[in-house]
Amino acid sequence: MSLLSVKDVVVRFGGITALDHVGFDLNRGEILGLIGPNGAGKTTLFNCISGVIEPNEGTIHFDGRPILDLKPHERAQVGIARTFQNLQLWPSMTVLENLKLPIDAMERRNIVIDALRLPLGVYQEKRATELARATLHALELLRYEDVLAGDLPVGIQRRVELARALCLRPKLLLLDEPAAGLDADETLHLADLLQRIRERFKVTVLLVDHDMSLVMRACDYIYVLDFGKLLANGKPEEVRNNPQVIAAYLGEAKEKLEVEDADKSDLPAAAFLPGPSSAPPPGEGKTLLEVSGISGGYGHLEVIRDVNLTVREGEVVACIGANGAGKTTTLRAISGIIRANRGKITFDGKDITKAPAQEIVRLGLLHVPQGRGLFAKLTVEDTLRLASYSGHRGGDLKPAYETFPVLEKRKRQMAGSLSGGEQQMLALARALLVKPKLLMVDEMSQGLAPTIVQRLFSYIEAFKAEGMAVLLVEQFVDAALSIADRAYVFEQGTIAHEESAAKLREDQTLIASSYLGRAAAEEEAGAASANGHRTTSDLMEEISLRLPAALMRALQEQAAKQGRKPEDLLLEFLQGQEVEA
Amino acid sequence: MSSIAIGRASSPGRTTALSTRSAKLLIGLGCLAIAALIPGHLESNFQFTAALAVIWAIAILSLVVLTGYVGQISLCQATFVGVSAYTVSMLVVNYKVAFPLAALCGVAVSFVLGVIVGLPALRLRGILLAIVTVGVALVFDGYFFQDQNYAWWSGGLNGWTFPGVSVLGYQMDSFHNVLHTYWVLLGLFAILALLVVNLHDSGSGRRFRAIRDSEVAAATMGVNLTRYKLLAFGISAAIAGVGGAFVGPALGSVSASIFSLFYSLPFAAFAVLMGVRFVPAAALGGIFMAMVPAVLQHFFPGIRYDWFNLGLGLLLILQMIIAPDGVWGNLARDAGRMGHLVGMARPKPKPKVAA
Repeated sequence: MSLLSVKDVVVRFGGITALDHVGFDLNRGEILGLIGPNGAGKTTLFNCISGVIEPNEGTIHFDGRPILDLKPHERAQVGIARTFQNLQLWPSMTVLENLKLPIDAMERRNIVIDALRLPLGVYQEKRATELARATLHALELLRYEDVLAGDLPVGIQRRVELARALCLRPKLLLLDEPAAGLDADETLHLADLLQRIRERFKVTVLLVDHDMSLVMRACDYIYVLDFGKLLANGKPEEVRNNPQVIAAYLGEAKEKLEVEDADKSDLPAAAFLPGPSSAPPPGEGKTLLEVSGISGGYGHLEVIRDVNLTVREGEVVACIGANGAGKTTTLRAISGIIRANRGKITFDGKDITKAPAQEIVRLGLLHVPQGRGLFAKLTVEDTLRLASYSGHRGGDLKPAYETFPVLEKRKRQMAGSLSGGEQQMLALARALLVKPKLLMVDEMSQGLAPTIVQRLFSYIEAFKAEGMAVLLVEQFVDAALSIADRAYVFEQGTIAHEESAAKLREDQTLIASSYLGRAAAEEEAGAASANGHRTTSDLMEEISLRLPAALMRALQEQAAKQGRKPEDLLLEFLQGQEVEA
Repeated sequence: MSSIAIGRASSPGRTTALSTRSAKLLIGLGCLAIAALIPGHLESNFQFTAALAVIWAIAILSLVVLTGYVGQISLCQATFVGVSAYTVSMLVVNYKVAFPLAALCGVAVSFVLGVIVGLPALRLRGILLAIVTVGVALVFDGYFFQDQNYAWWSGGLNGWTFPGVSVLGYQMDSFHNVLHTYWVLLGLFAILALLVVNLHDSGSGRRFRAIRDSEVAAATMGVNLTRYKLLAFGISAAIAGVGGAFVGPALGSVSASIFSLFYSLPFAAFAVLMGVRFVPAAALGGIFMAMVPAVLQHFFPGIRYDWFNLGLGLLLILQMIIAPDGVWGNLARDAGRMGHLVGMARPKPKPKVAA
């Protein structure tokens, strides 16, 4: 019988269904992967299993017994341990203390014995220390034992959190995005570590991650979630080749979108420019935004380093790349929400590196943040009026209503009661009224159905037609590339490629490497050249097992076109050379 | 490419916990001896103030557990002190109960009230919890402590006049034997402080601190939030109750004025000012809160108490800017740093971390 059995779980937050009849089984000793794009409901499912939230419907059985009635700490005691996407170590406690807590949480402790330091308490304390140090040793963390957990870099904190979860001696280990914030090396190391942990600690693992290289490497079986529903399941190689999964990840939902094209009657005619942009080619207008060599992050965590990008007047530029690659942080640094540690940002000829956020808006650089940044309790009309005054339009809302007729129908409604798509339209309408020179939109498509996303993109084109420059951060890569002039591909906190959108659309390999991780491949190449014993074809075979099939196919096609061996092309690619189309 | 240095052996350099502990104990004992000797050489009204200082120190110590360890806010610690003080007075004055027994009853009543006040903390946190505790303080202050219906317990508007008590022939009162009261209080403070220090590094203490740092992580790592939050409130109230039991013997009378919200607030303020996570800060807070006004009065007879409050306010603002960990927290850290400079303490091993 399976260790964990989730059946028909439904979770609703207000009107949004975060999980829609999700069910799966987890067998003993398995490493099961749960993947899916942003907002697919992965963390919500985790919270249901660990007891942080209660599902509206459905059952969860663990080890043959229902656990929905158990409180979080009782679930920990029956053998479910978890880690958190946003690290939840106890920062003011040392690493050792962090590990000792779950050890003695499994035992009874008496506060009187503790306060009096009676021998029993001292003995328990010693035992917990030894167990904790053994776990630290197993995870190669012993040297950090006396450091405050909050002072460690994220990579180490992730491992400490893993160690802490193992200290519960769990039967089931839930790992929520263990690779978030890790660099390629660390991710690689983590995949091996998980395999070792399974054998050594005899645990079953449920793993959620965006990082495909980790999931593909570490998992035995994979379930794919999308918009709160199970999209597919299978072995890693099956899932990797599943067109639906590729679509969900890379936004290749073209077929779906074609159908929707019939339904564009309520769009302004000017907003609809079919296919790639017909605006002036990139490289002409004057430079509007110039970012040179900025680094920055949160606290002592440096998320982006040495980012260089430019946006010219009337240009649509897309920033794409995997989660945690530093796209959002770059936008935040530009709009003054966080300060860059190094580097320089100029906008419209002025140095805005140190300018306060409101000053930057006044210069004509507007940032629509992830999650839209609307005031939930303000009506649509008031939201727009506010914007129109700051945009010197003197309360004239016409342009907004002309472009977004649906908003006029909803003008008395609270912004918070609109649907996700309408909220995004309101955010865009607000931007339209402020009339910035440069509009930065972060994850416009997040949590929205593909059809709505396509419509929103057509509005971006309308903005461009008005002469606005747009900097997009997007997960729907294909849609973003179809309207962008140029794109920057982010990889691990910096920009890996800058390319014209058209070229990126043709040559998916550049993007795939960012999304699907070329860490595995790089390591293999490095290892092979180091010992020098393996032949190229051996290497090729081994790498092809690990590389995403889509990437392999793209390489093979390129090779066929150029009449060369795919091996050579692959090697060039791995060495970081650009593959010539 | 960046890498994490793993397995590269670096000497762990663990400070031997035992030696640090005994050193700290020795220093503590030294301070205790000094504190016990000084008031003997002072005028009697300063001896009285010294006893008061220890009561305040115990009240602030109760916040070290609740706010410093568990991260829960309470603005009704003076209420816990008062509940115990009234219970003890009623038992001693009206029922002639022996003082030690009465004191135990007072502490128990405070513990129970603490657990009850802790119930809202299961759902609320931060400012909302603070408001609830303010409500508790106001209700007790304005009603239970002063209403004639509860005169059997609180002594009504006039409160209780507390006689001297004798424990095993050892006289404690607020007149000739105030030094005796002071020494007993000081001893109790030392014991409580030691227990609270012990708690910090124990299994229970770790659970408390885990709740402070991340409740969700504590719960998913097996900590019963309900149990430990209520326990924290109970223990904190009981500690405050120990101070409360001695209000009668030390002051000679028990009346509502010192159990009001306007004493709870300075407790919180001094706890934060001195460093709410550190036990010695409680002693500093108690001394400061009782002694500074008395010393000012002594040397500047015309001075108004308002000036003291004004000074406290300014200090709090200053502290938030220059010493956010509290006076003791920053002192301890700076002392450690100075120690490094003069080579007294071995520097803490800093793990080499390549980003």
